[in-house]
Amino acid sequence: MTLQHVGKSVPRVDAVRKATGEAVFVADIVLPRMLHAKVLRAGVPHAKILSIDTSKAEAMPGVKKVVTGQGCGMLFGTCLWDQPPLAVDKVRHAGEPVAVVLAETGNQAAAALKEIAVEYKKLPFVLDPVEAAAPGAPLIHEKNGEYRRVEYSVHPIPGSNVFHHYKLRKGNEQEGFAKADVTVEDEFEFPLSSQAPLEPHGAICRFGTDGDIEIWASNQAPFVLRDVLADMFGIPATKVRVHIPYLGGGFGGKSDVSIEPMVAYAASFVPGYAVKLVLTRGEVISGALIGRGMKGRMRIGAKLDGTFTALKAEMYFADGAYGDTGWPVDTVAGHNCTGPYEFPNAIVDVYGVYTNSPIVGAYRGYGHPEGQFMSSRLIDMLARKLDMTPAEIMRKNFLCEGRKNALGQTIKKSNGDLFGCLDAVEKALAEEPLPPNDERYVYGRGIASMMKSPKMAANAASCCHVQVNADGSAFVNLAGIEMGQGVHTVFAQMAAEALELPFEKVRIYFDVDTQYSPWEWQTVASMQTYRGGRAIQDACRALVEKAKKTAATAWNCAPGMVAYREGVCVHPNTGATLSLGTLARGFMAANGLTVGEPLAATGWYRVPEITEPDPETGMGNAAGSWTFGAQGCALRVDRQTGEVKILHFASAFDVGRAVNPAATRGQVTGGVVQGMGAALMEKILFTDDGAAKNVTFPAYKIPRLHDAPEKQTVVLLETPNEEGPWSAKPMAEHPIVAVAPTILNALRDATGVEFTAIPVTPERILEALKTRKEDK
Amino acid sequence: MRVLNFTVNGTPRTVHLEEGRVMLASVLRDSLGLTGTKVGCGTGQCGSCTVVMDGKAVTSCTVPAEKAEGTSVLTIESLAEGGVLHPIQQAFVEAGAIQCGFCTPGIVMRLYALFTQNPDADDETIMKELDKHLCRCTGYENIVKAAHLAQEKLRAAR
Ligand code: FES
Ligand code: FES
Repeated sequence: MTLQHVGKSVPRVDAVRKATGEAVFVADIVLPRMLHAKVLRAGVPHAKILSIDTSKAEAMPGVKKVVTGQGCGMLFGTCLWDQPPLAVDKVRHAGEPVAVVLAETGNQAAAALKEIAVEYKKLPFVLDPVEAAAPGAPLIHEKNGEYRRVEYSVHPIPGSNVFHHYKLRKGNEQEGFAKADVTVEDEFEFPLSSQAPLEPHGAICRFGTDGDIEIWASNQAPFVLRDVLADMFGIPATKVRVHIPYLGGGFGGKSDVSIEPMVAYAASFVPGYAVKLVLTRGEVISGALIGRGMKGRMRIGAKLDGTFTALKAEMYFADGAYGDTGWPVDTVAGHNCTGPYEFPNAIVDVYGVYTNSPIVGAYRGYGHPEGQFMSSRLIDMLARKLDMTPAEIMRKNFLCEGRKNALGQTIKKSNGDLFGCLDAVEKALAEEPLPPNDERYVYGRGIASMMKSPKMAANAASCCHVQVNADGSAFVNLAGIEMGQGVHTVFAQMAAEALELPFEKVRIYFDVDTQYSPWEWQTVASMQTYRGGRAIQDACRALVEKAKKTAATAWNCAPGMVAYREGVCVHPNTGATLSLGTLARGFMAANGLTVGEPLAATGWYRVPEITEPDPETGMGNAAGSWTFGAQGCALRVDRQTGEVKILHFASAFDVGRAVNPAATRGQVTGGVVQGMGAALMEKILFTDDGAAKNVTFPAYKIPRLHDAPEKQTVVLLETPNEEGPWSAKPMAEHPIVAVAPTILNALRDATGVEFTAIPVTPERILEALKTRKEDK
Repeated sequence: MRVLNFTVNGTPRTVHLEEGRVMLASVLRDSLGLTGTKVGCGTGQCGSCTVVMDGKAVTSCTVPAEKAEGTSVLTIESLAEGGVLHPIQQAFVEAGAIQCGFCTPGIVMRLYALFTQNPDADDETIMKELDKHLCRCTGYENIVKAAHLAQEKLRAAR
């Protein structure tokens, strides 16, 4: 049967309510008996707390309570329990919360903040991850190694600031490099940056007098949040209820947990009141989660014909004051830093390092952009050494049928077509010849290929409930968070397809509420279309079976004989029909006698047979999906100002199937611009005193319209595969992965300068052009 | 207590202002419950809080409440009054210009001010106005498309 809904660019189901301002975000929610919270942040990056005096603040008008971490014995986490909800005896980064004021209005809370007196004994601080990992660095966690943790996955080095060491040992380093005719090597930096969702983080939490916790949060991981709070307060998960409204962007910065434990801890002191906190833009950077922060070195060895023989890499991540959200980024960066290429030998060490900076968590594609930045730049350098084109080297080494990735997994044809992606990008770029350099401008082109194979909790799954109403419409309930990526629309398309119903008859529950939403791991790693889609298929299949069974009972025939199409069960011989609606509550005869079950069904999907990487080799069946792609750009550099203009940015991804091609294109155009921001403008800076400096717009600069590429080409390949629902693969974070190396490769082409650190600002370009004698 | 008198979406309003600095964005959202106006930065940089004040687009997070005295303010809630999307909103829906939607109301209001004043605004003017907004999701491509589509729709309706 040809597809009716999957593959169509239907308009988004949430568009009207967002266009009218009716969509509710957490900051829009007002509850009865609500207090407003403001947070006093440390201001110093590393210090002992000697005393906190809140008496004056407590006496201020409107103030209900001032909460500090004094005496708090709680540590929260999901795999590494190293963080208190508020600083207890010491502060580990300048944005760390020290006290929370709860008052009737936000202004009152803010006024009272100024009256809190904290005495610190400053300690030496360290921001650079390489310095922080070195012997003799100020120790940020004296208890590193002693914290509760998942021992198979998190590998601290006690007595140091390294809270996680991921090592990959594929093959043999010496042998691999001995076989190489040439090597390329360099040092790289992918700085700390902000996911910068336009909506700041917020949470409203209420402790009932009966000990129940209810929380509304801008969060991508409601069930993780629920379990973290239950664990932190030592109560059953059933006593915690999490509501998630619409999210104004997430990009990973709202995954796992960030501000919620602090808000919940503060709320626990005022049972019966709701406590609301919405971060300022500055706090989004200083006091929630930020991303990236990698310094590394990589070496690649190759034969004269371009075949890779070995890769060796070391990466240090400035993961900030606490490590629970950083360690998976480190692991993923490790086994993905090869890019989409086969290296028979790959030796990688990644260090997740405590630093006195804001906490690093997920950021779109986490680990992949950081690691592949290095390999993609080195391939460009290698090409010049070998007098080949970068594309020739890529094609020599692409992961494809029968080849093995860094984890040792064998790639299948259905995993995707890198060759097709690269061809498409080269073709798109070739369609517009580069103008010749002139007095003012130099021009260049660059390409890079990418893969994303996210690491998930090995038991990560999506669950789905489907329920049919008497009018034949269907509710589909699953807990994928709508944060802009369009998941509700795509879910509705897939459910309509699976049930063979008109699109309008299918409704995805808009609100996620852990009290009635079926369990879902979390909305990360671009897995909702893929994993949620399979759960929808599973539930819908079960529902149709149920309908057939009831119809068979009604007709007194074998269920296997009943056919189903377009919302209707059909009798094999008589051609009689029973619609889903008539079967919704069981089949009722004229006299009212009813047979069969009400039409509701559940389904689920877990990517099968995932394991954590082996602690010794770092290998194993840890990647549950692949999406491959290639990107290329043509750009122009202004010799006088150093400004870069992207003239054309081309992307090609093998998405298996684009469930909603327009929405997919939107993911690409947005991801490319976000990646361009990283490559050319974005970096969190620190004052000499160790506090994040450029935390507001425009000091932290993200791309505006005039910065965006003049033109984007997006090509979507659709290699059939068994795994995805209707063949659809993960596709959302991917467009950001190869953007920085693509642009820097093009900058090399334009200017002759090998940039290995981002952002490449106009100042850096001018500086580099000055020190370079002749242009190419 | 300070009092603010102004007109919001055609209705005269009196709002008692609390102590300290109070911005128009907060009056609209917190005092009047008009939460369609979003606050993304609070410093006049992202444009998500844009409303129309006496015909001009302003970032309501940087307008002190007192400055709104006697003015007439339009928020996103005024556009689809009566349950029919305004052509600009319709254009955003059709052009796929909405992802998370947090930036949308502000951009729609800026275009409303622009096209009300200057229905034939040229590309450069449109781009200059859109450049006052931040969108982290879309890469702007479809927002530009939506702006052009909106202009067409408004012209057709003239
Ligand atoms: S919230 Fe007013 S401009 Fe950003
Ligand atoms: S749609 Fe999310 S910020 Fe514009």
